[in-house]
Amino acid sequence: MRDFILGLAFMLSGCIVIYVARQYPTMASLQFGPSLFPSLIGGGFLIGGLFLSAKQVPVLKAQYAANAAERDRLLQIRPLLASLLPCVMIVFYIITSEFLGAAVSLAIGIFALMLFRKASLLLSLVVSILASLIIYFIFSTYLLIPLPEGLMRFWG
Amino acid sequence: MDTILLGLQLVFNVETLLVILAASVFGVFVGAVPGLTATMAVALLVPITFYMDPVPAIAAIVTTSAMAIFSGDIPATYLNIPGTPSSAAYVGDSHLLARSGRARETLGVNLVCSVFGGIFGTIILVFVSPSLAEVALQFSSFEYFWLALLGLSCSIFIAIGSRVKAFLSLMIGLLLSTVGLDMMSGAPRFTFGIPDLMAGINFIPVMIGMFALNELMLFYGSRGDGKAMPSLSKDSVFTQVPGHLKAYWPNMFRGGSIGTLIGALPGAGADIAAWISYAVGKGRSKQKDAYGTGHIEGIVDASSANNSGISGAWVPALVFGIPGDSITAIVIGVLYMKGMNPGPTIFMDGSGLIYALFVVFFLANLVMLPIGYAAIRSAKVFILTPRKVLMPIILCFCIVGAFSINNSITDVWIMLIIGAVASILARCDFPMAPAILGLVLGTTLENNFMSSMLKSNGDLLAFFSRPISAGLGALVILLWLSPLLTVAYKKFKNANSNKAQELS
Repeated sequence: MRDFILGLAFMLSGCIVIYVARQYPTMASLQFGPSLFPSLIGGGFLIGGLFLSAKQVPVLKAQYAANAAERDRLLQIRPLLASLLPCVMIVFYIITSEFLGAAVSLAIGIFALMLFRKASLLLSLVVSILASLIIYFIFSTYLLIPLPEGLMRFWG
Repeated sequence: MDTILLGLQLVFNVETLLVILAASVFGVFVGAVPGLTATMAVALLVPITFYMDPVPAIAAIVTTSAMAIFSGDIPATYLNIPGTPSSAAYVGDSHLLARSGRARETLGVNLVCSVFGGIFGTIILVFVSPSLAEVALQFSSFEYFWLALLGLSCSIFIAIGSRVKAFLSLMIGLLLSTVGLDMMSGAPRFTFGIPDLMAGINFIPVMIGMFALNELMLFYGSRGDGKAMPSLSKDSVFTQVPGHLKAYWPNMFRGGSIGTLIGALPGAGADIAAWISYAVGKGRSKQKDAYGTGHIEGIVDASSANNSGISGAWVPALVFGIPGDSITAIVIGVLYMKGMNPGPTIFMDGSGLIYALFVVFFLANLVMLPIGYAAIRSAKVFILTPRKVLMPIILCFCIVGAFSINNSITDVWIMLIIGAVASILARCDFPMAPAILGLVLGTTLENNFMSSMLKSNGDLLAFFSRPISAGLGALVILLWLSPLLTVAYKKFKNANSNKAQELS
């Protein structure tokens, strides 16, 4: 089922890529230009997606007929949501780092992620503060990366 | 001679030696934690190398990858969980030996074979690369186009699993390589009005997203913490090793040769080298049945191959700028950043950098002996580090590392999007190596195609007008036709055997 849907997604992406690529200019000296490679890649998406989906059709038919357990597996939402946690933390960092500062945002992220995996409160607190401060100072002081200061500004 | 001395001078200084030492400890740590691969270790290291001189930067990458490949054997032996995919081929044998109280002996053999494999591959790198570079000097855009296409095609045909998925993975990498201003016309492509995308997508956030964020998402989507810990053995690390080496030295040479050869093929990394070497070793062994039941011979075969594969992958990377595996794909990016453009001229620039690189390879493999020995003795520290503590810290490194490339939050978004997509694809068994190769080689492929077309006024037959170009083109076509030829050959063989049966 997953491969079938992915195949369709690739075909749709292929169509979009070809459509966008058609708007690029051609070069005066040649019949083609910047649109050639994206169009070929779009075509690759279409053909590959078609193969991927088509290969799944007999499997899907058999599964549907046998009322396969695959459908139950697809309903396991919790692990799927849990796997999105790192993405949530990145979005949290992007949104909050400007006013909270990189160190504080990272510390909150580490703390939340450790608690989610049932680490003890004290360990989470200590590790999150230490790790975020170490990372902040390595990158901002040693490597001179202008990480957002945020609340650290008041530190001095 | 002066260039060689210059190369030695670039390596034997306090900074580079300290970097090698630190990178080897880092490599051991990352490799020994299940779920963190050698590629991920290198991807995490790249933002740091950004601020180093060329030689320490390359030394850090070479040492980390070599150490991580070896130390992946530690959790494989004790926990039956390969630390890196390269240890997967012989994890069964290693763990069964550990359960019979021979863990340190097994790891001792692993260590010596890894050092041997690494040095064997480096010797091939030192002697083969300069000769190949002389041939590569004859290459024009036609040959480079075919070579890039050959590398990309290999990544599909060598990939484990579905070729359609490998093809689609490659297409994703190629699409990413087209983002930014077109080199020929200057037209912006897939930039969506974002100024940060005009220069193209930086490969580092993509690497971090594909390898590190993807692993993190898989970890949070699972329940296990991988810390089931059997009692650690107390047998000797090196006492039994000479006996095993005496019995299985041909396996070491065969493993080293297979590893170097497979490593040099674009898209095939140390993991594939280990699997093939293990299979070949089993096929030629007098004790075939013992393989998989806790037999040292298979471990000798495969652990020599995976480390020599690391060195082998550098041959096409240095000579042609075509990466042999995902680690060298990252390395090529680093080389460009450091002004060491990979290609035949790297052997002739007179700066001694290439000799420094060779020396770094030898040092990285030699330093593996003491550091690896210490790691085996203190295996508990590496294996017991809880991943629930480690993973959030790694995520922070990913965020700050992606940001630090251009001091831009756009790169963090790119890492996030690529990581999310890679996670979906990885769950559906899509290989990631073709995507990386597509990203790295996409620009080479397109630019060489376009400049060849300009040179030939759009005549496609010009791609077959030069002897080497025609040979490489024929090889690519043969590769693409190989599935059809295989089917045809099997049908022909079956038909013949049926006829023979009817006649008899």
